[in-house]
Amino acid sequence: MTPIVEIEGLSKKFGKRTAVDSLSLSIESGEIFGLVGPNGAGKTTTMRMLVTLLKPDKGEMRVGGYSVRKSPREVRRLLGFMPDTFGVYGDMTVWEYLDFFGACYKIPAPQRTALIRDLLELVDIAHRRDDTVDTLSRGLKQRLGLARVLIHDPSVLVLDEPASGLDPRARVEIRELLLEVARLGKTILFSSHILADVSELCTRVGIMEEGKLVALGTLDELGQRLTPHRLVRVAFLPTIEREEARAVLSRLPGVMEARRLDGLESADWPSLEIEFNGDDASLHRFLAAMLEQGLPVVRFSEETQNLEEVFLRATRGIVS
Amino acid sequence: MTTQPSSRPIASSLRSTLYSLFPALYSLLSENPVIRKELRGRMRSRQGFFSLFFYLTTISLWTLLIYSLVAAEGSYARWDPDYRQNVGKAVFGTVVLLELTLVSLFGPILTSGAIASEREHQTFELLRTTLLSARSLVMGKLGSSLAFLFLLIFSVLPIQSIAFLLGGVGLAELLVSSLMLVVTAVFFCSLGLFFSSFMKRTTGATVASYATILLTHMFGGCVFLGLALTDTSLYSNTTPLDALYTNFLNIVLWTLFSTHPLSAAIFSEVVLVEEQNLFYTNVANNSSLIGSHTFYLPSPWIIFTLVYLLLAGILILLSVYFVKRPER
Repeated sequence: MTPIVEIEGLSKKFGKRTAVDSLSLSIESGEIFGLVGPNGAGKTTTMRMLVTLLKPDKGEMRVGGYSVRKSPREVRRLLGFMPDTFGVYGDMTVWEYLDFFGACYKIPAPQRTALIRDLLELVDIAHRRDDTVDTLSRGLKQRLGLARVLIHDPSVLVLDEPASGLDPRARVEIRELLLEVARLGKTILFSSHILADVSELCTRVGIMEEGKLVALGTLDELGQRLTPHRLVRVAFLPTIEREEARAVLSRLPGVMEARRLDGLESADWPSLEIEFNGDDASLHRFLAAMLEQGLPVVRFSEETQNLEEVFLRATRGIVS
Repeated sequence: MTTQPSSRPIASSLRSTLYSLFPALYSLLSENPVIRKELRGRMRSRQGFFSLFFYLTTISLWTLLIYSLVAAEGSYARWDPDYRQNVGKAVFGTVVLLELTLVSLFGPILTSGAIASEREHQTFELLRTTLLSARSLVMGKLGSSLAFLFLLIFSVLPIQSIAFLLGGVGLAELLVSSLMLVVTAVFFCSLGLFFSSFMKRTTGATVASYATILLTHMFGGCVFLGLALTDTSLYSNTTPLDALYTNFLNIVLWTLFSTHPLSAAIFSEVVLVEEQNLFYTNVANNSSLIGSHTFYLPSPWIIFTLVYLLLAGILILLSVYFVKRPER
């Protein structure tokens, strides 16, 4: 796979505040790359520099081999950008809106007609084609924005908070739409505060904080790197006290830490979350040892790493 | 890319005619999406209708007033050709001066929000990431505003034609006044566009445009006053230096006087009527020291056209620069 987006040593300052600090990143063709981070982490600034809107202080960016600094026009041809705010021409109909942006991308008028029809079908707003943009709901506007981004058939979509402000149904629909678009072979770079969206969509994730990329990789890689121990959740019958169970568990091999866990399945069950160091065979021995010690285990499960956990660990200590 | 016209018959034939007569204009209109979008929006809006209504009503009422006043003075001589020509000139002059004033006021209204409103509606960034060049965006905004102003100017032709019925107005006056109107429209639209290109808010751009126009009018007034005050001393030459100074002052004041639309229009007419010359005027300087001599100054409309087109060109280039530069 060849990288379609390459960022090397990118830096940007606004006055004394460093918005982006020596950021290096490479995104391969066909990836869905999620950029997450707290507010002010530098996600939007990075995206705005990539789409030629903002001039970087330092660093180099290439899209499809073209330098963003030297060949902005070629880069614009390859990119489709959807900012976090939805720019509308309220007096235009949905059709006219797409036709206008199609013309801005120099698509000949005869081709635009069929293209817009197909795009409206894709984002499922063909029935609203003659309505003015102002009358659309936020979710439909976001779909229209996605159709706009796709109008010139770009290779890379740069989407800044595409699901921001949407109701749960609209969020799910946009997520499905993005997966559909990714199946068309597009590379997607998007930022989001909604970690569930990122974890369900992304092939890779970059976590930014204070302008720096503090973590990068697939969700599994990040999980292993940031939380190297396995997380095991155990619940007991209420015949044993939680502290008693914890004292027993702490002596067993492989147990790094046992923490109190509330609300696992039943409020009556004393539950513990255990950081365990070992392979699957060790885990099996750990379960057997618990039973040998006479602990009344009613539930035993290993937790997969979620992005929320990874995010909290990656940004721990810096975010107040 | 130039696309050949097709689709509906009337629209198609209009496009064919436009294409055959003005290929460059056709290309500009058909290829620049901003012009089409802006014109469509403007003609759909109430603002477009009310602008046209206000423009025509103002000019009609003033013309009627001037016609009534002039006609009332010489009602006994209504069949006298000279008198009728004077009425014709008065009507024509009124319409042209009103049009110059209104075009200079409407121009910035149409363009001061052109780029700033894109920023306000958060569409500027969308446009800047497309293949639409900064030049196309600026020219599209300017072109659509000018197209609307030309609609206003042409819509007044029936009122102006009253002057042609009465006589007294020649082809030269018609052409010069039309040229001055076009140049005024181009300059004042460019002025609004310039402020719009680097100010973030439409209100700020509009205020800045009108402040500039006010200063221009005040400056024009000062020049007029200066000319009136220095007029008596202009020819009292006692030394060769005085004579040269007088000539220099004449040139400067004449040039400054020519850079105001109304004074340029009035004095172009004066030169045309009194000296029967469309292109220049004679200035005689009777100095006892350097001798009697005459020199020529171009008619005000020529200076006005050159200066305003040059300034408009600079303002357009600056607008393109401000639109083009990425944020820092």
